[in-house]
Amino acid sequence: MESLSLLLEGFSQALTPINLLWVFVGAFLGTAVGVLPGLGSSMAVALLLPVTFSLDPVGAFIMFAGVYFGGLFGDSTMGILMNTPGGSTAIATTFEGHRMAKDGRAPQALALSAIGAFIGGLIATTLVVFFAPKLAEFAVLFGPAEYFALAIFAFIATASVVSDSTIKGLSALAIGLALAVVGIDGISGASRFTADLPQLFDGVSIIVITVGILALGEVFHVASRIHRDPKLSAIPVAGRPYLSKREFREALPAWLRGTAFGVPFGVIPAGGAEVPTFMAYGTERRLDRRRRDPQFGKGAIRGVAAPEAAGNATSGTAMGALLALGLPTSATAAIMLAAFQQYGLQPGPLLFERNADLVWALLASLFVGLVMLLVLNLPFAPLWAKLLLIPKPYLYAGITVFCGLGVYATSAAVSDLIIVLAIGTLGFVLRRYGFPLAPIMIGVVLGPLAETSLRNAMMSSGGELSVLVHSPVTWVLYGVLALVLAYALWKRVAEKTRQDV
Amino acid sequence: MSVEAGGAVRTEAARGGTGRPHDKGAGFWFGRSGLVVAGILAAIGGYLAIGIATMDVPEGAKVPGPQFFPTLITIAIFVLALLLAVQTLRHPEHVVEPAARHRFHTDWKSLGLVFGAFLAFALLLVPVGWMLTAAMLFWCVSRALGSPRPLFDVGLSLVFSSCIQLAFGAGLGLALPGGILEGIYG
Repeated sequence: MESLSLLLEGFSQALTPINLLWVFVGAFLGTAVGVLPGLGSSMAVALLLPVTFSLDPVGAFIMFAGVYFGGLFGDSTMGILMNTPGGSTAIATTFEGHRMAKDGRAPQALALSAIGAFIGGLIATTLVVFFAPKLAEFAVLFGPAEYFALAIFAFIATASVVSDSTIKGLSALAIGLALAVVGIDGISGASRFTADLPQLFDGVSIIVITVGILALGEVFHVASRIHRDPKLSAIPVAGRPYLSKREFREALPAWLRGTAFGVPFGVIPAGGAEVPTFMAYGTERRLDRRRRDPQFGKGAIRGVAAPEAAGNATSGTAMGALLALGLPTSATAAIMLAAFQQYGLQPGPLLFERNADLVWALLASLFVGLVMLLVLNLPFAPLWAKLLLIPKPYLYAGITVFCGLGVYATSAAVSDLIIVLAIGTLGFVLRRYGFPLAPIMIGVVLGPLAETSLRNAMMSSGGELSVLVHSPVTWVLYGVLALVLAYALWKRVAEKTRQDV
Repeated sequence: MSVEAGGAVRTEAARGGTGRPHDKGAGFWFGRSGLVVAGILAAIGGYLAIGIATMDVPEGAKVPGPQFFPTLITIAIFVLALLLAVQTLRHPEHVVEPAARHRFHTDWKSLGLVFGAFLAFALLLVPVGWMLTAAMLFWCVSRALGSPRPLFDVGLSLVFSSCIQLAFGAGLGLALPGGILEGIYG
């Protein structure tokens, strides 16, 4: 029970008034950004990254703990009320959630999603507390070949599973990798693709790329469509969100099943919570058909509860994978990794030894953050829904200014503003033609890891490629990857045949 | 993960129905503008290829050297650019506009305004200062997105940029450029 005593120490650090304030600020801002249209949890983390620069690392990560889950609590609100999910993880919640809202049960739908997010996050974070240290111990045995296998796994799984078209997914990944190789090569010291501009010697900052691709690209996309697309309106929330005992009992098994789907996907680098939320939704629908009075299509409670729990459970265990392996399994986790690197910390097996106090304070803050988010979201959901009333022009004008602020505040370099504009334009073009954006982020963040581990592995073996598949761990990883690809292929074929019928 | 993947095109397909696909009689490029992405990929690949060829590799760099990994990426990029081009040529995008007809799928006027405003922001930030350039950016973007009250917006954008200056400059200690208003505040 070593974990427990360490966790208690973490709590003693997290529960100081100033750190409680940071969790609260993080949870508050995270929810706000999550609720706003077009912005999900990864944007919440990206835009709030510069805000934390003046804090010490512990304070900054405690604040991130709030932002991290806050974005997820918020992004289903818009899906339920406006039928436009704030992010891909909220799509599955939207189907039944919006039907409930149209039926006059918007408060219940919001309550279901908030409690679901709480339960999923709570169970997943608890698992992380007990298993992440074990995972870290195991991961100490990992050499370059194993890390290369992990990176390849993340690349291929994200590019092929998340997107409709594998070519598009791989193209996005290749763009991310190309951005990652700019700058001075860490191993040989050669200057690469910098066109001799000193501003590029350190490479393109992850913050610039994130803000450009996710935030500025989104603003451009909205600008290109706002006078063309039909206007959307939100369903007003009447009354406080509550659940009757019967509704709670109805939802409970769905929350738990959703969590069970979400937990493993946090550790598998398969592009985040989209897959488990849909799996949880699909399972509930199949189970529902067998009941005497099927609810799906009429605003099913379980159709909201399960995906929401799955989404947050995935994020919870994704934090475990990030801390223990240094492996980001979603775009949000990728930006969190960048935040760690900003402070000169490298998540991975050694983090638990070298920065134990920070890790446990962060884990404890995740619990504190979850409780705070439940309090922030359950009684005050109607207030959050008011955010949807901000006129779109002002909303996106504000986001644009924050893009400029975030980028300039990080580096105080005008060149970064020009780069972010170029990357934002690229992000717009990719959005316009339906390219997935998550593989870019994964490529940017894991590119350097893939490159150094590949080169180190080959240097140590004298150029033998077989070193990459010499250990059982690599066999397992490539084996699971093959299974994931087979599943993706099967799903695609199944969809095609269904379309033909 | 909350990256919205390809919302634009999918909603286009879902919404169809009322309008008619107007690629009839339109030129070869109609629905094939997606070739732009293949072009961008090829351009990135070209840049990487030139960079690899002209790279100064320090002496004594171990094998595999700094060119090894970029070479793999470059090959992948060219292959993907080719595949994308073939895919776009074989399956052009069927753009269906709802009721009003527009020459382009994209609203270039609004987009250009937002782009220009951000470019101006980047270039003017240091000489003119945060408060005025940020307000200019806010005003232009809200205007481009169809805000109906330009005069009210001038006030709003100045309030917005000053609030950020106060919160981040004075509160959190970020160094935002003062520009021509330097000395009046802060």
